[in-house]
Amino acid sequence: MANTDKKEQPEYRLRIISWFIVSGLFMLVSVLWYLQVVKGKEFADEQVFQSSRSVRIPAVRGKILDANGNSLAESRPSYRLCLYLEELSPLFKKAYSTAITNEAQQVLKQHGRRLSSQERQLIARKARYWAASNSIYRAGLLLGQQIQLNEDYFDKHYRERLAIPMPISAELTSTQMAMFQESSYIPPGVDIDVQPLRFYPYNTIAAHIIGYLARNDQPVDGEDAFFNYLLPDYKGVIGIEWVFDNYLRGKAGYKSVMVNNLGYRQSESVWTPAEPGNNVVLTIDVKIQEIAEKSLRTGFENVKGAVVVMNPENGDILAIASSPSYNPNDFIPRISSQEMTYLNDSNLRPMINRASQERYPPGSVFKIVTALACLESGINPTEKYIVQPDPSNPSHGCIYVGNRKIRDTAPPGEYDLHRALVKSSNSYFIHCGLKAGLKRILEMGNRFYFGKSMELPTGQSDKGFFPDENWIKGQSQRGNIWTDGDTANLCIGQGSIAVNPVQIAVLISAVANGGKVFYPRLVQRIEPMEIGMSTGKKLEFSTRTRGLLNVSNEHLQFVKKAMLDDVEDIEGTGRAAAVTGLKIAGKTGTAEVQEGAVTVDKIAWFASYAPYESPKYVVVVMIEGGVSGGRTCAPIAGQIYRGILNLERMKRLKASQLASDDTIKTEFAEIGTN
Amino acid sequence: MDLADLKKKESRLMWLLMVAIAGLMVIGIAFVYSASEANEALASLPFYRQRYFMQLVWYVLGVASAFVVCLVTYHTIVRWSYLIYWVMIGLLFFVLIFGVKRYGGTRWLDFGFFQFQPSEFAKIAFIIAFANYLSRPIEELKKTKVLCKALGMAFLPFILILKEPDLGSAIVFMPVCLAMMYIAEVPTRFLRNLIILTVAVSGLFFVDILFAPPNWQIKLHDYQRRRLLVFFGKDYAPADATPAERKRLQLQQLNDSYNIRQALISVGSGGIFGKGWRQGTQTALGYLPRAVAHNDFIFSVIAEESGFVGGIIVVALYGVILFSGITIASRAGDQLGKLIAVGIVVLIFSHVFINIGMNIRVVPVTGIPLPLVSYGGSSVICFLVAAGLLQNIYQNRRT
Repeated sequence: MANTDKKEQPEYRLRIISWFIVSGLFMLVSVLWYLQVVKGKEFADEQVFQSSRSVRIPAVRGKILDANGNSLAESRPSYRLCLYLEELSPLFKKAYSTAITNEAQQVLKQHGRRLSSQERQLIARKARYWAASNSIYRAGLLLGQQIQLNEDYFDKHYRERLAIPMPISAELTSTQMAMFQESSYIPPGVDIDVQPLRFYPYNTIAAHIIGYLARNDQPVDGEDAFFNYLLPDYKGVIGIEWVFDNYLRGKAGYKSVMVNNLGYRQSESVWTPAEPGNNVVLTIDVKIQEIAEKSLRTGFENVKGAVVVMNPENGDILAIASSPSYNPNDFIPRISSQEMTYLNDSNLRPMINRASQERYPPGSVFKIVTALACLESGINPTEKYIVQPDPSNPSHGCIYVGNRKIRDTAPPGEYDLHRALVKSSNSYFIHCGLKAGLKRILEMGNRFYFGKSMELPTGQSDKGFFPDENWIKGQSQRGNIWTDGDTANLCIGQGSIAVNPVQIAVLISAVANGGKVFYPRLVQRIEPMEIGMSTGKKLEFSTRTRGLLNVSNEHLQFVKKAMLDDVEDIEGTGRAAAVTGLKIAGKTGTAEVQEGAVTVDKIAWFASYAPYESPKYVVVVMIEGGVSGGRTCAPIAGQIYRGILNLERMKRLKASQLASDDTIKTEFAEIGTN
Repeated sequence: MDLADLKKKESRLMWLLMVAIAGLMVIGIAFVYSASEANEALASLPFYRQRYFMQLVWYVLGVASAFVVCLVTYHTIVRWSYLIYWVMIGLLFFVLIFGVKRYGGTRWLDFGFFQFQPSEFAKIAFIIAFANYLSRPIEELKKTKVLCKALGMAFLPFILILKEPDLGSAIVFMPVCLAMMYIAEVPTRFLRNLIILTVAVSGLFFVDILFAPPNWQIKLHDYQRRRLLVFFGKDYAPADATPAERKRLQLQQLNDSYNIRQALISVGSGGIFGKGWRQGTQTALGYLPRAVAHNDFIFSVIAEESGFVGGIIVVALYGVILFSGITIASRAGDQLGKLIAVGIVVLIFSHVFINIGMNIRVVPVTGIPLPLVSYGGSSVICFLVAAGLLQNIYQNRRT
């Protein structure tokens, strides 16, 4: 029999055992193959997943520079103390083992039972806190400043952000930095951590257009959605910081922290370094901006008003100030509640950019538009009109439209267009404006783009209000029929019209430059943070002409001459703006804000440009609650012009000095070569 | 005897066996070093108290013992086998009474400078005594009384070790005992019944543990039951558990399955070529528990750091040892030598299979060492003595 034959083979039984062994080993090898070769990738991923934590590293934010390269906003390094928990972990362990032995003995003695796992956890928590606060206390001694460690804050960090250092102090002063670095003993687990922090060197200067930042650690669009930890980051909330946030922010980096089974950090590696943001270069000249803001606040600190300084040749904004202002530094790292109350003050409203965001009646400044409309309609500027005295106030003139009396601030008497502009006669402009007709006035206003946004890239452009025929028709259908009284109001910049100082600056620029209406330009270009950096974007914003006035030069010259006389003439309303050595052309305005029949507020204006012959600066000053344009705003404008003149003088002086230095140098060089 | 004669004769040494053992010892030192490197508690100790150095000392002692074992023929040793056996039984009793408790088991005898694990030596002692007992005429082996006595011989240490408790070491007795009886040509019918009985009992045991209602279950150590539940992927919580209890048990289950999950991640993430010696992150970062990385779970460390290639090499080295053992058994001078050799081969194989198997989730976790590689004096010396016995039998083979 085959069976017995086999059995009789001497090593049959050994062979059976061999087969067992072979199949056993084969089984091990095949499972190994399955785990390591087939599923190897999955397990490798799982291993990485359980032992690494991703951290988002915010990029260094780009600077905001003025036209001359002065930085209005930049990032500076900020130093603070941090606790590195992984270095403390042996101390935690030690503190815990001491505490647990004591506690366990005590509980056993008193209650005759063992500690529950919850009690153990509590002891561990207390032991950790004890060890950490011990270290922090010593760090405090080192810095001569008591540092408190909040137990809940510490525990939360331990549970949720163990792999990254825990900040334990506010920013260190340079003295503290020195004390820390020179100390021979540094408490365990404590070290200095550096972070870029936004800084506005000029504080409140140009605050409104720069805007401010708010804490936002979240990844932005286009980044990896998931990070275990996010380091503090900020985003722009308003102003340039907001509108150009994409450029300023740069690209966040990514680092991976390897953690052990308890979650303590072991090592870290940067996977993608952060790319710094781009610089935004403004048209602002910070020197002029400073002059403008200082002048604006001559009267009193919290004056509510605005100044715009513009280059009429290209629409570049050289200064744009709004008061009251705020300090964007106050928002870093976060705004205090005290500051917040000030910022929310409903009367001062410091957050509003009064230069572009608010609506004001232009008042007599609008007479420039009415005058041009009249001139273009063929009205003879030399034709006289006699203003009758106001019966209730004989030193002032008045005019009757329908049966409504409109008061005048100018005296009664004989007016032509030139005198009417210089003395800002309401009666004359209402008379002529009605003669020219609403349509012409509206059409002229449209040429200056009233009622349209000036498209400032700060998120603060209000378009104001300017009526058009559709609107008038719509109002009529609702029963508010447009009357001559309304037209009369419009002629003198009251009633259904609202503007902001930037719009007025554009108007004055167009008059000054001979008829070109520009988009105001605030941002010149975007450039890489450092020259020669390959990663940055480069973007130029060129001057944009919005439209042409198409007004005859003769008419423009007429208005300009009248504006010059408004400042130069003894009779002129704006003569407080006069500056010796500079020919300034300007127009005052004092608009009344009425609620029903009561005047609740006055908006004072002074809109001007200089020098008269070749305009280089447009200065518009607006103040809420001023006495009058001539008395409140004109002196401020004058002060600004004086400041600018000084600045130019200094510049010339410096240039000539440099030039003479150069000539000396070249002379020396020549001597040298000889 | 001149040189030419020596060359003609086959070598006295089983070279392949020696090379494989040396290879495993090198691997052992290297990976015990790697597995203990991250252990902060050890870092401050002088080098002679480091684990890799201690392991080297065990190797030297083990090789010396093996050499001593080879000085006399195995027949001389076997003459003392029953005495050795009973001494071992005595020690196993002793350990139950005076033993040192570690990792939830009373397995060690403390001699101050040296902690000794009698169960490791009990395995060798049992093999020698059992081989001695079984090497008798086939006719005698058919007698029930003889067979019962044989089973009793195996059962006594089995029960004592199970009582420690050391389930892994106890279970190893079963295949060793079966294989030796099979080679001794105990009647097949008897063996078949024995196997059926064992399978039935263990089958019932598993069914009872996994499915029976709690009050019907065999009393088992809680951790043993949990290990089995983890292996079979069963919930700890019985069907009628309250939500709070269920939650607590689920958390515990997660904790208990932690080791094996981390071992799997270690092995799997090693890939084909591994991360490189000392480059494994699982032990360095403490995911693979440091208490077991250098002994029961050393294969995970090897597999993580040397990959599939390293795993294959380790398995192949054991293959070489096992088949050298089979060869030695087949050429043994008598039935006694053959039985000892087969006992040792099956002992090594069981250890390798169970240990590697638990690292890769093929068998439930039972703490038994990987022969010659896992850190530990008792185990290393025991397996080197076993290797010495193999060599002894080879020296005294048929010519």
